[in-house]
Amino acid sequence: MNHAMRRLSIACLVMFLALMLSVNYLQVFRATSLAAEPGNIRVFDEQFKTWRGEIIASGGGQQQVIAESLKQKGGDFKRFYPDPYVYAPVTGYDSIYATTSPYGLTGIEQSENKLLAGTAPSLAVYNLKGLFTGKPKQGASVYLTISPKAQQAAYQALVAMGEPAGVVAIDPQTGAILALASYPTFNPNLLATLDPVQFNKNDKQLVTDPAQPLLNRALNVTFPPGSSFKIVTSSAAFSTGKVHNQNSTIPAPQFYHLPGSSSVLTNDGDAPCGNGKPQIIYAFTLSCNTAFGKLGDTVGGSALHTYANLFGFNDPDLTIPLPVSPSNYPALTDPAQIALSAIGQFDDAVTPLQEAMMAATIANHGKLMAPYLVQEVKAPDQSVVASTTPTEIRQVVSAQVASYVTQMMISVTHNPAGTAYLTAGPPATTIDIAGKTGTAQNGPNNSGLDDAVFTCFAPAGNPQIAVGVIVKGGGFGADAAAPIALKVIQAYLGQH
Amino acid sequence: MSAVPKVAAVPPPGAARPAPLPRGRRGTELAMLCFAASIMAAAYLSAGLGLNGRIPAGLPVYVGGFAVLILAAHVAVRLLAPWADPLMLPLAAVLNGLGIVMIYLLEQFGRNGNSGLQISTLTAHAALYQLMWTAVGIVAFVLVLLLIREPRVLKRYTYTLGTIGIILLAIPALLPASHSSVNGAKVWIIFGGFSIQPGEFARILLAVFFAGYLVTKRDVLSLAGRRVLGIDLPRARDLGPVLVLWAASLLILVFEDDIGQSALFFGLFVAMLYVATQRTSWLLVGIILFVLGAETASRLFGHVGERFSVWLHPFSHANVVTGNSYQTVQGLEGMAFGGIFGTGLGLGEPFRTPLVQSDFIFTGFGEELGLTGLMAILLIFGLLVQRGLRAAVAVRDPFAKLLAAGLAFGIALQLFVIVGGVTELIPLTGVTTPFLSQGGSSLVASWIVIALLLRISDTARRPAPQPIQDEGLTQVVRAV
Repeated sequence: MNHAMRRLSIACLVMFLALMLSVNYLQVFRATSLAAEPGNIRVFDEQFKTWRGEIIASGGGQQQVIAESLKQKGGDFKRFYPDPYVYAPVTGYDSIYATTSPYGLTGIEQSENKLLAGTAPSLAVYNLKGLFTGKPKQGASVYLTISPKAQQAAYQALVAMGEPAGVVAIDPQTGAILALASYPTFNPNLLATLDPVQFNKNDKQLVTDPAQPLLNRALNVTFPPGSSFKIVTSSAAFSTGKVHNQNSTIPAPQFYHLPGSSSVLTNDGDAPCGNGKPQIIYAFTLSCNTAFGKLGDTVGGSALHTYANLFGFNDPDLTIPLPVSPSNYPALTDPAQIALSAIGQFDDAVTPLQEAMMAATIANHGKLMAPYLVQEVKAPDQSVVASTTPTEIRQVVSAQVASYVTQMMISVTHNPAGTAYLTAGPPATTIDIAGKTGTAQNGPNNSGLDDAVFTCFAPAGNPQIAVGVIVKGGGFGADAAAPIALKVIQAYLGQH
Repeated sequence: MSAVPKVAAVPPPGAARPAPLPRGRRGTELAMLCFAASIMAAAYLSAGLGLNGRIPAGLPVYVGGFAVLILAAHVAVRLLAPWADPLMLPLAAVLNGLGIVMIYLLEQFGRNGNSGLQISTLTAHAALYQLMWTAVGIVAFVLVLLLIREPRVLKRYTYTLGTIGIILLAIPALLPASHSSVNGAKVWIIFGGFSIQPGEFARILLAVFFAGYLVTKRDVLSLAGRRVLGIDLPRARDLGPVLVLWAASLLILVFEDDIGQSALFFGLFVAMLYVATQRTSWLLVGIILFVLGAETASRLFGHVGERFSVWLHPFSHANVVTGNSYQTVQGLEGMAFGGIFGTGLGLGEPFRTPLVQSDFIFTGFGEELGLTGLMAILLIFGLLVQRGLRAAVAVRDPFAKLLAAGLAFGIALQLFVIVGGVTELIPLTGVTTPFLSQGGSSLVASWIVIALLLRISDTARRPAPQPIQDEGLTQVVRAV
């Protein structure tokens, strides 16, 4: 019988090996996908026990903790946002109960979740050390490029304006995002509550609020760019050689009959644009629609589309690491539509971030840097787990072309006839700002209030900050949007 | 019959040097038992610290009580089976100890983590009861060692024990559901507040019966019948007993709604049949019969098909919405949550898994001790089975050999069925995890199995009677 018994032993061995393999597969290889199963109670409950890392705004030489985990009486951790409204579009919220986004997280709370929660693979060594030293597990801290003073100034300016709006400020040389504000916004502490009843009440209120406070207007809402798009049109015209430099003249009729259409394009208040054949810098300073509509037709839809894409339009994959809605510039063949799109009308749509990226590209000698929010991630023992080095997306236009556009943008704020002379020029500030206004008509038959757009950088000679502002229904771009940009620049540069 | 006389270690001068005698190794056993007790103590302490950061109040009762019990078992082995395998008792003890700790944890966790509420399927004072059942198990262990001094004694009662086994197995099927059904499985005898699962004991009795029956009939059974496709098919009339047991196992499946129990029962029989006859054809016949039976059952009874569906697609919408896969999913997610190192005792949420104290206790360990702990537990079981099989190989008496092989294989099969089930290796069928699961019947039956294996290994390792004097022809041969 010993022969059969040997085989029986082998059968037992096989059974045990199979069990060991099965357990290994389950606890090592399948663990991640099982943790991600919707309705995993343990993963849900773990949130109460997770000591998440801090989120710290650390740009511009200042530091401010903008999200932290506080231990409650029962030992559970609750997320707390000390300056909730100002930073809500950046931090997002960490909610235990929300079902709208994965794990109820948005913003940096979502994009850096694994690091904040301490589960990222890059923290494995640190966590392993903790396993043996018995230290309580804490997530890594995320240091953002956001400058507290620029961010505060941006939000205060938006509150003072009181209209739905978004602001983004970028360091043009690195792409570091210095401010990212949205109005109206919300208090993430309302969603971080550990009380499910309270949460449901607050959540319902926020979701059904007609003002849509949860919407991030800096990144996820697009508005018509209006005349600010003339930066792209000019860049395309210079780069394709259709216009030689900023002093070249271009045709600017008082009334421009759109090709192949019965519509007529006019300037603001049906005014003429100089002598009808102005230098492009003059047309840009006054923001003549007829000149740039016709220029668009000259440059052509395909070249405009190419340059819009180079500036970052039509990119659905941009993350900073928060997801960014793509700005839209359609591929067009109809000359009338091309002319309209060349002045930022028709189907053009941009985010405030895209506005800031346009100014930043010009400021950085035509080089577009990838915008980013996370500067550094540090484990609780202060060792650096991850850090961001600035990366170039592409050379959008040559340094030469960028300098032409810069001259034109300086003229907008420094020429007394410029659209932003009074609001961002010498009468308003001693800082050299280069900018472009935009005013987009709105609503059926342009009956709604205009959207105000301003994109700029400063100081013009040594750009350190580029700002994009869009105010929904703010009226004339220079009046509503430029002062907000000015406040951010003043706060960041510490000058008036 | 008296204990084996002590054998002189030094051979008398002038005699041929005999082969060195095997040693009882009771000292090793004691040392390993101390180790087992300290593992249990450390686990209990760690559980208390994990739960609320305090040293648990029940420390002297649980750790002390457990230590006294296994020490008693050791003394019994020292007196009654001095040559027995030294590892089996410590291996069984450490598993039993870990089981008590896990049940203590679940009791303290309470329902959904609310320590005031009791988990609905957990009896009150479950951990204390488990300790008491351990005591009963140890008593049964000692009684078996005391009453069965030679394995072959059992052979005399082959048919008696077999009949009792069948009756025990059948009782729940005959009782009204109120006296036999818990959570759907009709495998209990319930009277008053007292309940036992007779199947746990019936399996042992039937293993004895199979051993006795097969040892007698193995020559007949291994006679070749017709040879088809290179396989010797058994003769039709020899198929009789196999078919009877197959039918019995199917009846259990049908009337007691317990596919796990029937798989264990039939698997045990087929394995022992194979060992007795050394004929692969019996193995094939057995497997084919079982697959056919299971297949038919799955067609006839919806819930068997349901189990297959849960096994294949635990996360499918249908299985999640109906709640059919809830237990499986909780078990899987719990184990995954434990990962490699586990949450630590008292720091996970094993109470989220329904019936984690019985069928799913393995997932509870997976969550709290992680892969590391599970591999250790599997290795402990593996060693236990290996020691059992070793005793089977070593013992001379064919009946004892077959019985030991059956009992050891039974542990392996039971573990495979339940652990394979909760880890999705095979479809889930509810059987207990030996020594770990809550429940007196399973625990007592497991201790009886260990006692039988120790008795057989004692027989196997006991040295042949030695001449007590070195004088010519006169020898005293110990009568047995």
